[in-house]
Amino acid sequence: MFKVRQDEPDYAFIPEVEVPDVNRYGKKIQLVDQHDDLAGKSLNINGDPSISDSPNRYKQHGFYFNADNCISCHACESACSEKNDLPPHLAFRSVGYVEGGTYPNYARLNISMACNHCDDPVCLKGCPTRAYTKFAEYGAVLQDPDICFGCGYCTWVCPYNAPQLDTTKGHVQKCNMCVDRLEVGLKPACASACLAGALDFGVIETTPENRDQLKTQIPGFPDPEISHPNIRFQQTKSLPREMTRPDNIPVRYERDEQGQNGFNTKVRGNGGKPEWNLGKLRSREDPLVIFTLITQTVVGAFLILYLGPKFGLGELTVGAHPVLYPSLLLALLGIQTFALALSTMHLGKPHRFYRAFNNLRYSPVSREIAGIAVFYNLLGVYTLLSALPVLFGWQPSSLINGLLSIVGWCAVIAGPVALYFMYRIYRIKARPFWNHWQVLTAFYGNMLALGGMIVLLVYGAVLVSQTHSITHLGSSLSALIATGLLIEMIGLFFHARDLEHQGGEAAASHYRQRTTYGKTYIARNIGLALTLAATLLLAVSGLDGIAGYTGWVLAGMLMTAVAVVGRSLFYVLVIPTTMPGAFFWHNPGFQEHARETGLAEMAQVGVVTDKH
Amino acid sequence: MLFGRDKKNPIKIADKGVIEWKYTTCGYCSTGCSIEVGLNDKGEAVASRGVGGADVNRGKLCLKGIFEHELFRLPGRGKTPLMRDKHYDPFRKTGWDEALDKVASEIKRIQAQHGRDSFAIVSTGQIMTEEFYTLGKLARGVIGTNNYDGNTTLCMASAVSGYKRSFGSDGPPGCYDDFEHTECLLAIGSNLPEQHPIIFWRLRLALEKRKFPIIVIDPRVTMFAQMADIHLPITPGTDLVLLNSLAHVILEEGLEDRAYIEAHTSNYDEFSKLVKQYDPLTASRICGIDEDTIRNVARTYAKAGAAMTIWTMGINQSTHGSDGVVGINNLNLITGNIGKPGGTSLSITGQSNAMGTREWSSCSGLPGYRALESEQDRSDIAQFWGIDPEFFPKKRGLFQTDIFPAIEAGRIKGLWLIATNPMTSMTNTSRIRKILEKLDFLVVQDAYEDVETNEYSHVYLPAAVWAEKEGCFTNTERRVNLTRNVIKPNADSKSDLWIFSQMAKRFEQGQKMHFPETAEAVFEELRTLSKGRMLDYSGMSYDKIEQQRGIQWPCTDGNETGTPRLYSDGKFQHADGKAKLIPLPFVDNNERPDKEYPFWLNSGRVVEHFHTRTRTGKVGNINKFSPTPYMEMNPDAARELGIEHGNYARLTSRRGDAVVMVQLTQRVPPDMVFIPFHYHECVNRLALGLLDPHSRQPAFKQCAVHIAPATDQQSAAIRNKAARAY
Repeated sequence: MFKVRQDEPDYAFIPEVEVPDVNRYGKKIQLVDQHDDLAGKSLNINGDPSISDSPNRYKQHGFYFNADNCISCHACESACSEKNDLPPHLAFRSVGYVEGGTYPNYARLNISMACNHCDDPVCLKGCPTRAYTKFAEYGAVLQDPDICFGCGYCTWVCPYNAPQLDTTKGHVQKCNMCVDRLEVGLKPACASACLAGALDFGVIETTPENRDQLKTQIPGFPDPEISHPNIRFQQTKSLPREMTRPDNIPVRYERDEQGQNGFNTKVRGNGGKPEWNLGKLRSREDPLVIFTLITQTVVGAFLILYLGPKFGLGELTVGAHPVLYPSLLLALLGIQTFALALSTMHLGKPHRFYRAFNNLRYSPVSREIAGIAVFYNLLGVYTLLSALPVLFGWQPSSLINGLLSIVGWCAVIAGPVALYFMYRIYRIKARPFWNHWQVLTAFYGNMLALGGMIVLLVYGAVLVSQTHSITHLGSSLSALIATGLLIEMIGLFFHARDLEHQGGEAAASHYRQRTTYGKTYIARNIGLALTLAATLLLAVSGLDGIAGYTGWVLAGMLMTAVAVVGRSLFYVLVIPTTMPGAFFWHNPGFQEHARETGLAEMAQVGVVTDKH
Repeated sequence: MLFGRDKKNPIKIADKGVIEWKYTTCGYCSTGCSIEVGLNDKGEAVASRGVGGADVNRGKLCLKGIFEHELFRLPGRGKTPLMRDKHYDPFRKTGWDEALDKVASEIKRIQAQHGRDSFAIVSTGQIMTEEFYTLGKLARGVIGTNNYDGNTTLCMASAVSGYKRSFGSDGPPGCYDDFEHTECLLAIGSNLPEQHPIIFWRLRLALEKRKFPIIVIDPRVTMFAQMADIHLPITPGTDLVLLNSLAHVILEEGLEDRAYIEAHTSNYDEFSKLVKQYDPLTASRICGIDEDTIRNVARTYAKAGAAMTIWTMGINQSTHGSDGVVGINNLNLITGNIGKPGGTSLSITGQSNAMGTREWSSCSGLPGYRALESEQDRSDIAQFWGIDPEFFPKKRGLFQTDIFPAIEAGRIKGLWLIATNPMTSMTNTSRIRKILEKLDFLVVQDAYEDVETNEYSHVYLPAAVWAEKEGCFTNTERRVNLTRNVIKPNADSKSDLWIFSQMAKRFEQGQKMHFPETAEAVFEELRTLSKGRMLDYSGMSYDKIEQQRGIQWPCTDGNETGTPRLYSDGKFQHADGKAKLIPLPFVDNNERPDKEYPFWLNSGRVVEHFHTRTRTGKVGNINKFSPTPYMEMNPDAARELGIEHGNYARLTSRRGDAVVMVQLTQRVPPDMVFIPFHYHECVNRLALGLLDPHSRQPAFKQCAVHIAPATDQQSAAIRNKAARAY
């Protein structure tokens, strides 16, 4: 048990107060009753078997933040980092701020934020390894770094930036609610350390002494509907109509003219000029750019190889090209293997990859990986059966053919299903730029376009070398390619329109798309249109032979470049709905600067040098 | 579990394995928080926590204290003494004997050649009271230089001077408990939440119980200004005018405490004659605060049953800092707000032991608030130390800020710096470089060998830091508190006390005197010397101090506890027993913004850093909140100049230039910028630092600069990084 000092001051103890039955979302605050199976168990903290008799042990607890009072003294963050022995680049709790007004009528609103131990913990549901648990004790959402394999998906889904991916250690860690202190009746270290009467802690929906409000939102705090966070606020002082952030996220918060309603998130910035910033397209997610594109290509190519002959593409039958067909399948298997290896190496702890399937019930990541694993294995069996019939020659050929057919059809279903799960990964409320059906059109569009193109180029090369015509193949596949390109374009069109319309972080992402990456974005869009035009032109013109093939190769190169740039933009443009940072700490702009200029090489700057 | 794993691993929560907690007092600022340092089974300091039962901090710590245990093993600590012939030669490692012999022989050589005062000593506010006393004994009683001062001239000199002028003695009359009783708090040039977060918390505790008006005077909209009931965004350098005008309104409207004035003050007529000139209209045109607000504040303050004023560097670091302090004292004297609960003039001090040096270091005189100018004091101390009273000068010598110009002018040839870093802390850095370069002999005694000033030293003496030794600090409210020895000094570094007494042995006169070996034995000398004086320590002992978590002087022999307030009896230290009301004519001698240099340059502290960052710049969990210099600038002003948020700008003044990252915020007015002073090669390259005529404290906070965007952002970033070893 945590040792309580003899002279522990009163403020450090959680007060005994009356607690309502249910919270504002209608959920019971008493999470289990005393006789429940889950009650009366040890939390087993560091192997300590003792059990606390704390009276409110099974009630949902949460933080209380009085935004009127916070002075940004960093005592809460520091007490947390000291207790949890964290290195400078990590923090379970962070203070950021928004500010507004005109001198001297200026106001700064500081926000101290850690994990909100949500009623609906999106981190827990998103985690593929089931590293998260929501405990009946205090309603704490705890994460076990020893289970985590460092995919970082929880850091994507959490709207409050609570889970912290430590890239130097390859796993995530987060606020543990100081459950060791709670077991002996003490508030968490952060709340006990507050110097301004701002941060407090207790059973949720209870108002601390001397406080009046139990608000669920203040400017800068994401929509509580995403996860029903267990934090309540007080914010009574008048604020300026517009509040801005000191970090480089192009977002501001604006109150309506009457000041009746809350603050709305709007784009900050106008007059930004379009730039290229091609160098900034690189990110930690580079492996995912490659992985998603390859997987979509391979699924598309397989669908065409398997279904093509059934729809009259005689060139694609095994009989027509008995060596090429299995060779291409082998090549697809090869690049898919490479892509899977790449995505595994992208994990903080690749050797724990097998834990990816632990959370099929909730996690889209688990489902995606399972889906792709199924497709990959079916593709492998299908390739093996096709490529090495001699191995199975002792079996009756009807059995082999039947098997091929079953495996093939299964793979035809499994591939698109896997891509659907891949798409589901990005439907994250805390990442509005991704949370759009455009992602699906992009993924399926790429499947058709890139898959079609690769089959066309491989078969085209053989046909041309054998002086056969490629026009039939070209015109047939161009329909698929064009369809793929077209649905991606339609998706992009609506995406841009809806982002603007939606406002908030979505519009801010789009603002960056039009400014920081403006020229790149336009070039990608033009590239997409050019690829479509070239595809249609090549199909209609009937250009054949080396000339025709060269045309397709050029179109293929353009398509690949457009796809890589487009997917890179997809990852770098996302602006999460996280809390505002400060001018240095948790300011992505400063972190980038520190890495570029080498300031990050000093560990005490608190910015990890990038290793992508 | 409600969701998640059925089979759970044990919950892992960091356990630092503390087996023992040792009692200390924080070594950063002068709030005087009690800290316990946790040691693990290997004897390593691994944790810090505020002492629950300590009255000052009641279990809390600010972020610097929370990580104070990391101090002991920071990079850049000195391991062995270093020596070299010229400052441009490489250092070589040496032993203590050789290093101390060298220092002693150089002191003797310089003094023999150029006179006793040609060797100067500048110390600090960071070492322990026992060490200050011993240094004073060495400087005044053995080496005998009159050019001996502390860096407290950069922070507290104006408060000291102002207290002496008004009350006849130094010593803050109030305490933190006054927050619990006051009915109006006036804060001038004090950003309490950022500079002294724990004192702010004490204020917050009082406000949670009982609301009273907070009035903040500051040209910046600090967090304190924002939470104030009334914020006066004053024109830089004009506080004196405002203070005179507040007194004007109070006297004009008959709101003064006539009985108190008559019983306990002198010089009222002169004073009232002068403040007559400062009617609110005249004042408003100078200080930028409208006349109605001046009247409102004056009435609020004077009508409060008890009202108190706190201030920090906004007053002290000014060309009329001492006058500003006297102005505050005047205000409190005419309203009868001295020595009563909730009524006080409380200077919020800077360094952990700025008070200890004021009391005992002999910088400005002789130990225990004794003066060189007093024959009695000279003979008392000479007798106690066993030396000839004639050895003492009859007048105090140069202040720190006059010692540097004396080196410049060639009158001082040798300098001993103790735990201070003028290469970053003094104004006009390039001038300081030239001055240090000129010295025949410079000794730097510091815990950190990477302290920037070491660039020019001939001998470097590695000192132990904070709880690597034992001794006392006195805090802002006169509370003497104890630091127990927690771990042994790093490598071959030694306590300052040991260094001073070893140095004394190398002088003939020092051999004849008694220099106690332990801090506790030195403390006995303090008790004896303070007996019956204002700062009476005679009722204290180490164990009693630890037991009570600090004791406020005076604590006379036989008394169980200390004394929260001074002058409660209305008796002051001036010869007539009265406090003096002093007329303060305002002379505007600041460098003001003009066409060429159109911006006010203001500087100040941020919560995460302490002084020149030799410590906090290396603690990652603190430093990360502002790891590189920055400037707060008004966005409207920046737009006109084409300066962008997060980019670098170049500032020039009549002294030099600085490159700094820009943070745009409406916290500062369009004609002013603010730069934290902690960073090497930054704001003090620009600052002028005109000296206060009484305290010789520099006006760090008021000068004029020109600002332009850095044309080459890349090279600006390189230049900024190159200036930073930490």
